[in-house]
Amino acid sequence: MKFSLKLLLWTVIVLALALGISGFYFVNYVFETSMARETGQAMDESRILRFAFETAALNVPAKYDVLADHTIEEIGHNLENGGSRRLRILDEHRQVVYKSPGFEGDDLLLSQTDEAVNTWQVIHKGEHYYVQTCMMADALNRVLYLETLRDVTEVFRERALGFLVYRRVTVIMLVLGTFIMHGIASWLTRPIRFLTRATRRMAEGEYDYRAKKVSEDELGQLTLDFNRMANALEENIGKLEKELQAREDFVAAFAHELKTPLTAIIGYADMLRSHRLDEEKSFLSANYIYTEGKRLEAMSFRLLEIMVTRHGKLQLQIVSTDLLFEYLYNMYRTNRTMGFHLKHDKGTVWAEPNLIKSVLMNLIDNACKASEPGSVILVRGIRQKDGYRFLVKDSGVGIPKEEQEKITEAFYMVDKSRSRSKNGAGLGLALCVEILALHKSRLNIDSEPGKGTCMSFVLAEGPGREGGEDRR
Amino acid sequence: MIKILIVDDEKPICDLIDLNLSGAGYSCTSVQDGGKALQMIEEGKYDLILLDVMLPGVDGYDIMEYIRPLGIPVIFITARYEVKDRVRGLKLGADDYLVKPFDVVELVARVEAVLRRYHKADNILTAGDVTVDVEARRVTRKGVPVILTNKEFGLLLLFMHNKNVALFRETLYENVWEGEYLGDSRTVDLHVQRLRRKLGWEHCLVTVYKVGYRLEVPQ
Repeated sequence: MKFSLKLLLWTVIVLALALGISGFYFVNYVFETSMARETGQAMDESRILRFAFETAALNVPAKYDVLADHTIEEIGHNLENGGSRRLRILDEHRQVVYKSPGFEGDDLLLSQTDEAVNTWQVIHKGEHYYVQTCMMADALNRVLYLETLRDVTEVFRERALGFLVYRRVTVIMLVLGTFIMHGIASWLTRPIRFLTRATRRMAEGEYDYRAKKVSEDELGQLTLDFNRMANALEENIGKLEKELQAREDFVAAFAHELKTPLTAIIGYADMLRSHRLDEEKSFLSANYIYTEGKRLEAMSFRLLEIMVTRHGKLQLQIVSTDLLFEYLYNMYRTNRTMGFHLKHDKGTVWAEPNLIKSVLMNLIDNACKASEPGSVILVRGIRQKDGYRFLVKDSGVGIPKEEQEKITEAFYMVDKSRSRSKNGAGLGLALCVEILALHKSRLNIDSEPGKGTCMSFVLAEGPGREGGEDRR
Repeated sequence: MIKILIVDDEKPICDLIDLNLSGAGYSCTSVQDGGKALQMIEEGKYDLILLDVMLPGVDGYDIMEYIRPLGIPVIFITARYEVKDRVRGLKLGADDYLVKPFDVVELVARVEAVLRRYHKADNILTAGDVTVDVEARRVTRKGVPVILTNKEFGLLLLFMHNKNVALFRETLYENVWEGEYLGDSRTVDLHVQRLRRKLGWEHCLVTVYKVGYRLEVPQ
């Protein structure tokens, strides 16, 4: 059952009970007050009647000292006030002496009445209600019971009318109340409905859907918290999707990269086994198989390196920058196609020397690939406040802004056809980024298409803040 | 002689295709750069172009756009195997699509098929006293018609296109029966024997020990 319906139902039940009970009490209270008043009046009348009777009895001519029955009858007839008052007079033996016409009272009160006790009761005859009173009168040594009957049907009718009116009012109030409460309940549960909708939409994969906040109460707070949670979720899902996409791209790219050398190897091997080739051709084929195999090997090593650097721990140590630059100098001394300018400040870095060498060589190779033969490639080592900065600068083709983010993905090359003539596997920069991440550093790419690229990174000089964390 | 232009940024792949197509009797030229390829297409007249999609300079799709009005048949050769790439290539007007790594025999067969479609290939193949009219699917030996089944005809074509080349049983099976070879050589052997008998090729169609068969014709 819907929450708003439950709320409505309970409210209506409580409302009905409250209205019913209070109405009943109210009508009854009015009735009882009226009844008390009527009874009081009946008793007063009864007392006056007794007084009148006794007085009348005293005034009877004292012919006999005894009050005769016909005298009583006469007095009774007089007291009837022309028929407007109904009364009954009984003697000491409880025998009716006088009875007004239309007196319909019973004899129940007689046994309960004595000199000190006046009694009354309500009797119901046909459609009429009466208050019957009974008291003892003492006249000329005779004990008589004097009974009166007072019509109180009106009071009862009023009560019935009261109940009827109240019932109508209650029904009207309930209907009205139901409508009003229905409105209130749906208004109150609006945030819940919004939240439900948001939850459902999100469950269907619409992660950017948010619940509308419509109240300032606990539900409003819940909505806020829900949206905050949704934000966090969306962010995480986005991150995961991106990661997954990157992984899929990597696998696809890798599979793609594998195909070219595989085609060559399979093709040449097939030629060797199927054709009777002359010596030159079989040498060519064998050589291609060898070099393409080597390429596959290099790729698999690079890949392995990435895997290892992604998951492995490495031993960092203090490395002199002299050592690193000397290595680079020896590497590129013989290369005459480019102008290498190596210059460095004395200093140390907290690093794994072989991996950093690999990073620098990768960056230099990239710079060479991007440049025209004969242009200058600048390699600098600069000591600065926050560490030691390595910088590789070329004046080659440059990298467009929108490519700069993707460039560190495995197998990505700015020239989409991946000029393989320059012998890249497309794994270089991805590897550099991984290695630098292990050193708690990152690769800064500053490039302008047509003007050249400057790649740099900063390493800690010793096992300080950054470096120390790896050791623990 | 039919002239074929090979455009692929990988020298080894170019050479591989070149060697095989030259062996099958075509004249091949290869180029590794998109821009240069355009230049060559403009200058020379080619009967067929084998085109790699990913090229430095101008990419394969762009070259395709340029070639289309010229009406030169094109076979795309690429490592991309997704359906959308294939569809894109074919929609641009390529005549066929070959995915790396490819089988050399398959490459030759596809080149043959495309050329035939453009009526550039020689419709009449001969080996010894056997003549095959590919279009009409008519085989004659010394002028006498020989009745061959579909598979036998397929085998014969494969041998004719790869004269003096040892064809492995798996290669034969995969190209003629177009299914994966599961090591059961009897089907292939049976058909080759029947072909031999029908054409009287007991001496030309030699068994290569443990490997397959070779059609030997004096060159």
